Amino acid sequence: MSSELEPPEKKPKITGNNDLCIETIDKCIENITSSEKNLQPIINDEFHMPIQLVKVYVGHIRSAKDISRTILILNERIPLKELSHLKRVRCQCIILCPTTFLHNMSSIQEYIEIHALELKDVFDYFKEINVPLLPPKIVSQYNETKKIWPCNFHPNTYFEKLVSDHFFSSYEVKLHRQFMGVVFEIAKWYVMHRGTSSVVGGIFENVNVTVVVNPINNRIVTISYDYRHNHPMQHSAMLAIDNVAKTQNGGVWSTDYDNNLLPGLEQELIDYLKEKFSHFGIGMKKSKTDVQEEKSVNDLHGEGCGAKTDLHGEDCGHKTVVHGETKEKDGPYLCTGYYIYMLREPCVMCAMGLVHARAKRIFYCFNNSDTGALNSVVKLQTVASLNHHFEVFSGFL
Amino acid sequence: MVEFMKRALELASEALAAQEVPVGCVFTINENIVAESRNSVNITHNPTRHAEMNCIDTVLDYCKENNIDYANYFRNIDVYVTVEPCIMCAAALNILKVNQVIYGCPNDRFGGYTVLDVRKFYEPHYMLSGNLCADEAMALLKQFYKGVNPNAPESKAKKKPL
Repeated sequence: MSSELEPPEKKPKITGNNDLCIETIDKCIENITSSEKNLQPIINDEFHMPIQLVKVYVGHIRSAKDISRTILILNERIPLKELSHLKRVRCQCIILCPTTFLHNMSSIQEYIEIHALELKDVFDYFKEINVPLLPPKIVSQYNETKKIWPCNFHPNTYFEKLVSDHFFSSYEVKLHRQFMGVVFEIAKWYVMHRGTSSVVGGIFENVNVTVVVNPINNRIVTISYDYRHNHPMQHSAMLAIDNVAKTQNGGVWSTDYDNNLLPGLEQELIDYLKEKFSHFGIGMKKSKTDVQEEKSVNDLHGEGCGAKTDLHGEDCGHKTVVHGETKEKDGPYLCTGYYIYMLREPCVMCAMGLVHARAKRIFYCFNNSDTGALNSVVKLQTVASLNHHFEVFSGFL
Repeated sequence: MVEFMKRALELASEALAAQEVPVGCVFTINENIVAESRNSVNITHNPTRHAEMNCIDTVLDYCKENNIDYANYFRNIDVYVTVEPCIMCAAALNILKVNQVIYGCPNDRFGGYTVLDVRKFYEPHYMLSGNLCADEAMALLKQFYKGVNPNAPESKAKKKPL
């Protein structure tokens, strides 16, 4: 036993902890890949917020025959741009203006007389009521909104899909769950070979893993895991972005394990994955059997993958000469179109890196309550002024 | 202070000449330059290779070679960058707890203060100030965006037929 008092420096293995870790990971893999539960899009809070109200003046019109004329005059003299989702009239009540319009005036009667003198005798009484402030985005909000006041609504099928619990088809759910399984297998490999991970409350704190997939042919473009204990910027997503750059004759970070097939990754890990996931193509470069297999897969699904499948054909179609002048635009621009599967919700740095990389969809398993930028501390995908927005999904467990 | 920003502007001009988004950056400790770089996104095909990230790597390499604890080292670093750091770089500089960040012009597209204030949800670890040589920094950006980013994909927006 005395020899175990001084564990080897490079791989501090606390066996009990590691076993627990691996057991937990195996359980996760089992749950993730066997469940058929659909994934949850992580979307703007606007979709779930209760209806917000704003106080307005309405006037009750004396004679129903004056309604249309009154609306015409009001729309011209007192337009309600911010409330254009609302119909102006309900029964014989007409929305005049938000109560904030009055400023220093003493009464709504005075306000009407100043802005639309010809309407001064049209109303027999006024009252203050609350009406919905924002246009409804989805059917359920519309139903709530119109209970309060009649409003305009144009259903958006994409929004409806986002709030439904069937965003993906069952085939897609299965596929995404399998790729998340790959993420966990890498985490497991990491724990077995590095032994520096810990499991706290079932949530992985020291490992993050990223798998980049090209959804056109379902090939794994690259994978990465955290190096942040060696290099504070080398979070797995940042490494994954650099690894993708390496597949495009770029990249900056050299690692001990550079490999032609999957830059930045150990051959040992690649072999481990190939054995486990023989049905997924791994790496950008295809062997001839891969190409044939893909053809038959595409034939089976017949989803018109044909034309674009060759995008990453044997010599990748990238003729970019880094120091030359010619630059072909055949390959993907950065991570355009790629799906990113991650163990944990990425931090702000990584999430913004993935915006810069133009990733199409991010899938992650665990929320990161301290620094997570897709749900926990902020939802970067809902910041409207950014030039690129990816979709985010979770709900694997 | 101005001399460091002038140096950063020179680096930004180099970026422009190399068809990169013209942003330059200088790291200093006690008024001495310890790292300097510029944007290198297009040549590396890595969209995270902003000037600040390149400087960070220079410092990390230096610390590694000289057995210096980088965490302490970064605490004394002042960052001069011609354009307000983007959300990613602002978060990175916050992770590293640099002493202060001084930028030229604001970044309306990606700014880690202007577009989304990173320090609102992360504990702020550095002082931030802007508007040093802002006009020069902005002029370089305008010059770049007049041209076309050679690596960007064709716009998806359909052009109206003439």
